[in-house]
Amino acid sequence: MIELNNVSYTYPRTVQPALHRITLSLEKGQCIMVTGPSGAGKTSLSLAASGILHHEYGGKKEGSVIIDGKDVTHYSSLSDLAQNVGVVFDDAEAQMIFTTVEEEILSALEHRGLSAAVIEERLAGIMKTTYLEELKDRSPHNLSGGQKQRVALAATLALGNDILILDEPTSELDEHATKRIAEILKDLKDQGKTILLIEHKFGQFHEMVDALVVLENGEITAQGIPSDVLKDDRVRGMVLPDFSTVKGIAGTAIDSEPVISVQNLTHNYGNVQALSGISLTIRKGEFVALVGENGSGKTTLVKHFNRLLSPTGGDVIVRGKNTKDCSIAALACDVGLVFQNPDHMFFADTVREEIAYGVKNLGIEHGKEVIDSALGDAGLTESADLYPRWLSRGERQRLGIACVVAMQPSIIVLDEPTTGLDGYEAILVINILKKLQEKGHTIIIITHNRDIAEHCADRIITMEGGKVISDTGSA
Amino acid sequence: MAEILQYVHKDAFLHRLHPYTKIAFIIVVSIMCIIATDLVFLTLMVLAMLAVAAYSRLLAELLQQLKLIIVMSAIFILITIITIPNGEILGYIIPQGVPVIGGFIPVTTGGLTIGIVLTLRFMVLIFAFQLFLMSTQPRDLVNAMEKIGLPIDYILMFIIALRFIPTLQIEGQRIHEAQLARGFNPGTGFVGKIRSVAPIAIPLVSNALLRSNVLGLTIDMRGYRTGKKTHVRESTLQHRDYGVLFAMALACTGYIVLLMNQII
Repeated sequence: MIELNNVSYTYPRTVQPALHRITLSLEKGQCIMVTGPSGAGKTSLSLAASGILHHEYGGKKEGSVIIDGKDVTHYSSLSDLAQNVGVVFDDAEAQMIFTTVEEEILSALEHRGLSAAVIEERLAGIMKTTYLEELKDRSPHNLSGGQKQRVALAATLALGNDILILDEPTSELDEHATKRIAEILKDLKDQGKTILLIEHKFGQFHEMVDALVVLENGEITAQGIPSDVLKDDRVRGMVLPDFSTVKGIAGTAIDSEPVISVQNLTHNYGNVQALSGISLTIRKGEFVALVGENGSGKTTLVKHFNRLLSPTGGDVIVRGKNTKDCSIAALACDVGLVFQNPDHMFFADTVREEIAYGVKNLGIEHGKEVIDSALGDAGLTESADLYPRWLSRGERQRLGIACVVAMQPSIIVLDEPTTGLDGYEAILVINILKKLQEKGHTIIIITHNRDIAEHCADRIITMEGGKVISDTGSA
Repeated sequence: MAEILQYVHKDAFLHRLHPYTKIAFIIVVSIMCIIATDLVFLTLMVLAMLAVAAYSRLLAELLQQLKLIIVMSAIFILITIITIPNGEILGYIIPQGVPVIGGFIPVTTGGLTIGIVLTLRFMVLIFAFQLFLMSTQPRDLVNAMEKIGLPIDYILMFIIALRFIPTLQIEGQRIHEAQLARGFNPGTGFVGKIRSVAPIAIPLVSNALLRSNVLGLTIDMRGYRTGKKTHVRESTLQHRDYGVLFAMALACTGYIVLLMNQII
């Protein structure tokens, strides 16, 4: 159904090719999963395979792409290509143009030259396959990440194509929501759809994947049936990382002084109770993993540590001071918070200036040494003069950490620090955190990844419905 | 969070009207309030908008923007008092007792009246437009605008601009929080305020530009611009639409009579 022959591609105004001599063939009814480090060219590959690259992007193209027996250059336009290929892009929000779920899918169906009766029938079918029936009148900003991904998928399914290309459809989702997407895709494959899936989470999709392709620096470095490809230890480490190899100091924090003490904390958003009666103590030098599904209150809880949110009831004591009596700026010296999406903070022209921003704000002395050491810790010394948004996702994640580390907070909180990273990049991030712990920092991470929580943290706190339901360190 | 200019899903009077009827409603109301200068008439129009909102169960949503309207009104009135002094002097913004600068900026009946007229007009326009957007699904809006003959690119531009308001609000909030956690200083003085915009505005704009790429591809892949379209679930003009149109025609007649007799 899709054939790439010796495809190379270089983006305009760049020298390094994004794709180099890619040869790939996707048979009817097959599912190929493409994986690899961030910045390896996975998104470029999905654009090439869908023909979008040849129609919409400039730059240098070599080789040929054949979709459904026809060379992509022979398709007249994107909408002509869209008669054969459905693409789900990585940003779900940007794929929602209308203000209710049903409208979104219906409007996609209206442009396929179908009769009104067929449209209604297909609409009902798609809503059912993607479990969106109950959400049909919701607006995009009232949907969770997983629900948005399902709407983007549903609107693409509405096109009724046999070929589906999906670019990281589960990157920001928890285990439960990922499982749901995996089930939907498996059903679609059973119905005979041909699927090209860009993903990191092989474990969740292994049942349906016929071939695994590893892309590194724009080149395919391994390709074949998964069990063969995974015999190579290096590939295995990337696709199915073993976090038990992460070395660190044994948890000896039990007797140290408390740095955060949460007392009977409640928080309400309007009428919705997001946190109810949370009490816990975190001690100096601990490595804590906060786990739980989307919407369980993890992010709401940590935002209280630096007073981005104020308690509706109860108290939060950070290093002996009640946060009620501190300003956000003063707390920023004690508690560093790295948000899930690092792109929410980058605005400077170079990596170095980006890190310098927080350092200057807090008036830290010996700024240059501090910044150099943060760059070194994050493994970004060589990228110091680059534009932050040119970095790969993995590097941007580490830059986000460096920005906060340079401010020298004793407590570092990270919201989903391994989102969108491959196994090696995730381990790199975790090792950075372990080193910081050795230096005496207290580390708190929010994560969906059970393996990381179990192997890397000294203590796991599980939340559900705004409550702590288990805490391995409370004994 | 207050959702500005968004469709609110309900099953009430305005929602059941045909988009054409509602477009006619905004046009009639806009013309009426722009031509009229009578305080009592304009006050009645504001009350009428509120009554329509209450009848359509949209009053609470409409009043969410009240704070913004009050601030804007205060600015309007202040500007007209300063710029259009006319008629009797009611008093002074800076009391006469204050030495040297006392007695400046007189509050005149003329200036005050023009300020209040502008405010009332502004309220009628905002309320009417909001009622229309809150009660019309974007899909129906697109259909109606297409039938009127507007080019599809402009229609898409219009509805996308509306659709992404809450998204940008939420994103702006997240960026603000991320920068606060880095010791972001909201800035003092004029230069400080301008400088403090960069850490918020640059990520917001960069992310939005990145997003527009995917948005553009999505529009083309779904064939929204091809012009081929099957029309499903199209509403037709119902009895209630004719009723409303008739009532508006009556109101227009009455309005013209009032205008001719120089009552308003």
